[in-house]
Amino acid sequence: MTNALQGRRVLVIEDESLVAMLLETILDDMGCTVVGPASNIDDGLRAVTGEAALDAALLDVNVAGREVFPVAEALKARGVPFVFSTGYGEAGLPEHWRGHPTIQKPFTEAAIRDALMKALNISLA
Amino acid sequence: MLLDAQLRYAGMNQAYLDVTHRRREDLLGQPVMKEFDAGPGHQAPENARQLAASFEKVLTTGQPDNLAVLHYPIPIKQADGAIIYDDRYWSCTHTPIKDADGRVTHILQHTSDITELERLRRQVGRLRPEEATSALDSLIGGGMFRRAMSVQADNRRLETERRQLLDMFMQTPGFVAVLNGPQHVIQLHNGAYGQLIGHRDVVGKPIREALPELAGQGYYDFLDEVLATGEPFHGRQSPVQLQQTPNSALATRYLNFIYQPIRNDAGEIVGVFVQGHDVTDTVMAAERQKLMIDELNHRVKNTLATVQSIAMQTARSHEDPRSFAETFQSRILSLSHTHDLLTRSHWEGADLREVLEHETTAHGLHRLTLNGPNVALDPAMAVSLGMIFHELATNAAKYGALSAGEGRVLVDWSVANLSDPHLTITWRETGGPMVATPDRRGFGSRLIERNVRHDLAGTVQLHYLNNGFTAEISIPLNKEAA
Repeated sequence: MTNALQGRRVLVIEDESLVAMLLETILDDMGCTVVGPASNIDDGLRAVTGEAALDAALLDVNVAGREVFPVAEALKARGVPFVFSTGYGEAGLPEHWRGHPTIQKPFTEAAIRDALMKALNISLA
Repeated sequence: MLLDAQLRYAGMNQAYLDVTHRRREDLLGQPVMKEFDAGPGHQAPENARQLAASFEKVLTTGQPDNLAVLHYPIPIKQADGAIIYDDRYWSCTHTPIKDADGRVTHILQHTSDITELERLRRQVGRLRPEEATSALDSLIGGGMFRRAMSVQADNRRLETERRQLLDMFMQTPGFVAVLNGPQHVIQLHNGAYGQLIGHRDVVGKPIREALPELAGQGYYDFLDEVLATGEPFHGRQSPVQLQQTPNSALATRYLNFIYQPIRNDAGEIVGVFVQGHDVTDTVMAAERQKLMIDELNHRVKNTLATVQSIAMQTARSHEDPRSFAETFQSRILSLSHTHDLLTRSHWEGADLREVLEHETTAHGLHRLTLNGPNVALDPAMAVSLGMIFHELATNAAKYGALSAGEGRVLVDWSVANLSDPHLTITWRETGGPMVATPDRRGFGSRLIERNVRHDLAGTVQLHYLNNGFTAEISIPLNKEAA
């Protein structure tokens, strides 16, 4: 089941370097390739439009005082599945994004894996 | 007799001149209260006050006023120049005369001399104190006279009560207004209401004309509905856009208020009574509190994620549980120290030197030389630099200048380019053991590099020079502009 995520290119947007490093380590262990990580919305948007290959994304909701939703819209338009990461949990998301795969800080490896699988529509069976 | 708005004689007929024993040319243009001062006696000031108050009431309300009985002696100049007062009783009606704009410009006084009636009543009373009074009273109208006196006293009492109630309206801290008729004409409002609407001159104007910015905000409809149904309307923390200062943007206020129907004697709804409080401060405080709780939650969860990351990364480079615990703990304590610093300033920021001192004192103050100006750091920068200095100091103590007896660390910093200020920090180690470039980049140096680039949008160079390790860090102080 680890193979399901093997080789996937995952964009990470996270403004705190230590948290970004944690995500990198976890994604690395899963066999993913980290794109970024981007520390702000503008770099994130540039990555969405500029990166040739993107399989998925992990988006911190509150990035340096701004909300990540413009990046989420851009990813949606491009058809790239993504997972929100937030300290508030899913309840902290605006109505529009409720029900979207979300992980809550602090995270476990299993939670990140499950959310990515759900976003990528990969069945565990 | 006719007075102008300053209570000066503007005209009178012959009957008035006859009864007052004056000449027209002597009275015209003269203040009435000066010409007739109510004479001597302890009753005189009160009598004069009653007359003046009646004039004043007509001027301010624009409504006629009656004095059923006014005790007012008339001064008569004798041939020898002496003045005697002729005791007189009057019954007066004061009627306002208005200009095209509805302002009272004149007061018309119609007065009847009722002195004879009063005198007769008193004479009879003196002769036959008890029963005859009532018989004659009924015959010549003395009873009517007494009733007039008592109505007059009632009027005075009611007027006083009315004024007291009005004063309470006007001074109450909540806002109060009385709206009249289907157009909701503002009949009166108090100071708090005036403050709410920016002290505009709205009395006498329909609400749509007086407060045009309310269009589309629902308030006109609520008023129409109260008038139509007779049901009061309650507003709770109701937002309203108001012009509180001329020529500026509308201000949002939040109001608790009630619109209550006002009924006339026949039970018909003739107006709306508006009463309420501006609760903007309370609403804003609640909003601020929610924002603060959200922000606190965000910070706590992010800090926990940071701690989680430190634990995971530290564990990867420390297989021995004891050395893991020691390193992990010191990193957590470093983070905690920066938080302590920030808590002192209520999370507004910290000074660079303070952050440096906090992270390095454990290694002995005399071994570090800190040299640079005051630099205010925002909380995020303070937390990042705190962690960076902790890693630098720990490395120096483990492998660098602080690991040997004579070694020292020089930290210099400066701020350049004031239009787009950049902070440059140089960490230079001297007198330590020979330095070799490590074959493996540990978590410490990765943390430094990532933190500077990622969190601070800056650049960092680590030089493993033979005679001592050096780190050069450059970060923009104004991250928005960077």
